[in-house]
Amino acid sequence: MADVVPLLKEKVAEVLRAMLPLVGIVVALQLGLVHAPSAVFVQFVVGSLLAIVGMVLIFIGVEIGILPMGRFIGAELPRKGSLMLIVAVSFSLGFATTVAEPDVLVLAQQVDVASDGAISERSVLYVIALGVGVFAALAMARIIWGVSMKLLLTLAFGTALALSFFAPPEFVPMAYDAGSVTTGVLTTPVVISLALGLSAVLAGRSAVSDGFGLLGFGSIGPIIAVLIMGIVAG
Amino acid sequence: MTSEIVDTLLTTARGVFAAVGPLVVLFLVFQVFLLDLPRSDVRRILVGTAAAAAGLFLFLLGVGIGFLPFGRLIGEALATMPAQWLLGIFGAVLGFVTAFSEPAVRILADEVDTASNGAIPPRLVIYTICIGVAVWVGLGLLRIAYEIPLTWLLVPGYSIVIVLFWLCDKDFVSIAIDAGGVTTGPMANTFLLALALGLAAATGDRDPLLYGLGLVALIALAPIMSLVALGSLVRRKTRTKRSKEDAEYIAHREHSA
Repeated sequence: MADVVPLLKEKVAEVLRAMLPLVGIVVALQLGLVHAPSAVFVQFVVGSLLAIVGMVLIFIGVEIGILPMGRFIGAELPRKGSLMLIVAVSFSLGFATTVAEPDVLVLAQQVDVASDGAISERSVLYVIALGVGVFAALAMARIIWGVSMKLLLTLAFGTALALSFFAPPEFVPMAYDAGSVTTGVLTTPVVISLALGLSAVLAGRSAVSDGFGLLGFGSIGPIIAVLIMGIVAG
Repeated sequence: MTSEIVDTLLTTARGVFAAVGPLVVLFLVFQVFLLDLPRSDVRRILVGTAAAAAGLFLFLLGVGIGFLPFGRLIGEALATMPAQWLLGIFGAVLGFVTAFSEPAVRILADEVDTASNGAIPPRLVIYTICIGVAVWVGLGLLRIAYEIPLTWLLVPGYSIVIVLFWLCDKDFVSIAIDAGGVTTGPMANTFLLALALGLAAATGDRDPLLYGLGLVALIALAPIMSLVALGSLVRRKTRTKRSKEDAEYIAHREHSA
């Protein structure tokens, strides 16, 4: 573990570069415009310090643990597993990480309220998770079959846009928001390195155009799922 | 105040557990049935995951106690601006620095750097994402002030994105889609969301929930658009630089791929 010290130095520098502009702007706004009570400002300073320490730990943990985890699984899947297994793993990973995400619960409550209880919280939760799972599986299958990402995205976003005109207006912001609550900080490196591992093992795949896209594509599923629920409820 | 902090601690811990739990279970299932990695690798992965989980806990806690209440106050203060168009400028600056501090944006940029063997440097990805977010958060705050329906921004936005997909270098299409996911991370989802809620609540009869949510949807669109725009420029530039023969060769190769 002797390599931890240079890694720590590098990550501390990176995190400070990342956080200081935001902290600086907030401090400037506090002095020039907001004038919040000093207790709130102290809370902000403490929060910033916690966030900085936390981000350093996240980056170190991602580098030594999370990225290798995804890479090992991604490289091993096509060797030992069938297409079915790969698709099943992508589906369960998408489904499991979404169903457990607290943000999705908050969103599910909002849909419940917006539909006057016609669509229960629990059903929203599972439909969103199903949306993520199905789209994550599709994105993984795309890498294996070599389908163009442009085509798949055009169809997916085209469907979402078309549905937006038929869904009740209060469902539209919720739907597009649903697409963004599903990608966590730690899910990101696992999914990316898993897809990179997979595209490295399969012959004739580009690391960049096939290794990326899996994560974001999964988030179109919930947009379409919520819009359909809105149309059904309305 | 104390019960508030205990609440924050509990919800944060639950969120971290929800994020890490499925990953660890998946890994252990794989390790037992398929991978059979040496013990030292397993230990390293689990230690790293534990460090990342602890880090995520501290980060979310810091964002929750520090940035969430302040975001709301900034939003309320911005509502008192003498001229509403100033919101666009404040939104752009705050959008830029927030995206700049989002951890997953950096993780994505680093992975792009590695996968492209340095051909697409991390700075390029980070700055393109931040510029996109700056533009759309600026527009998003103006939308709240002038009560513009969200679909007026989302529908043209995504339509432009779909067109750009077909003009864009294919590497950038995939990166752009992932960027849409990572940019709406914990910082944007709490700080900018709270800011939008504060602004909407202080501006009068706006439905704060509807307007706050809309901003997050725009933040997800922002980096997709700026990265496919960059990808289209990159492709045009490399196209015009090459001789006719080269262009024919590329067209042929792309056709057969």
